[in-house]
Amino acid sequence: MSRRLKLILAAGITVAAVTAGATVAYAMQGDAAAELRASGQAGEQADGYLGVVGSASAALRSQVDSVNIKRRAYYTDLAAKRGAKIEEVAATTACELFRTKIGAGQYYRLPDGVWRQRDGTTPIPLPGYCG
Amino acid sequence: MRRAKLLLAAPVALAGSGCVQVSAPDKPIEINLNINIRQEVVVRLQQDVKELIDKNPGVF
Repeated sequence: MSRRLKLILAAGITVAAVTAGATVAYAMQGDAAAELRASGQAGEQADGYLGVVGSASAALRSQVDSVNIKRRAYYTDLAAKRGAKIEEVAATTACELFRTKIGAGQYYRLPDGVWRQRDGTTPIPLPGYCG
Repeated sequence: MRRAKLLLAAPVALAGSGCVQVSAPDKPIEINLNINIRQEVVVRLQQDVKELIDKNPGVF
């Protein structure tokens, strides 16, 4: 095998490895929030952020934090655009997430601070301000 | 020449100050579930929020 051919092969393998790594990373990012909700170890809170249900590993906590940091950035951006408070955008988002994203058996937390599990297809009782 | 340099620098400075810097907090976000919000505010923000959720499936 010529030296040049070896170099080309090595470059090809490197590109393939990097692409595969990026794909895995993307897949993990792809529906991180949905996967966390489905795991039963995290749920949606009335304040617009994911919360940890019960005690969780440091790894799970860091996944939840990572999603929440991104949410916070989106809330901050939208609040600035609409002249609203970050908390207002976040709470409005929670209303919408409670309506559309909590599956059967998944966890949610209303302003009373209690974690509850959605009972089958019964709609989640929304806070009065959700409208 | 010096004036030309100044003129060149001005748009760069403007562009720099015009963008909103969002930096991630280095400590965990504190959770406060005591929500104080009026329904009319929710109604006003609802459409924007729906779009935000639809566009960012990994985050919401």
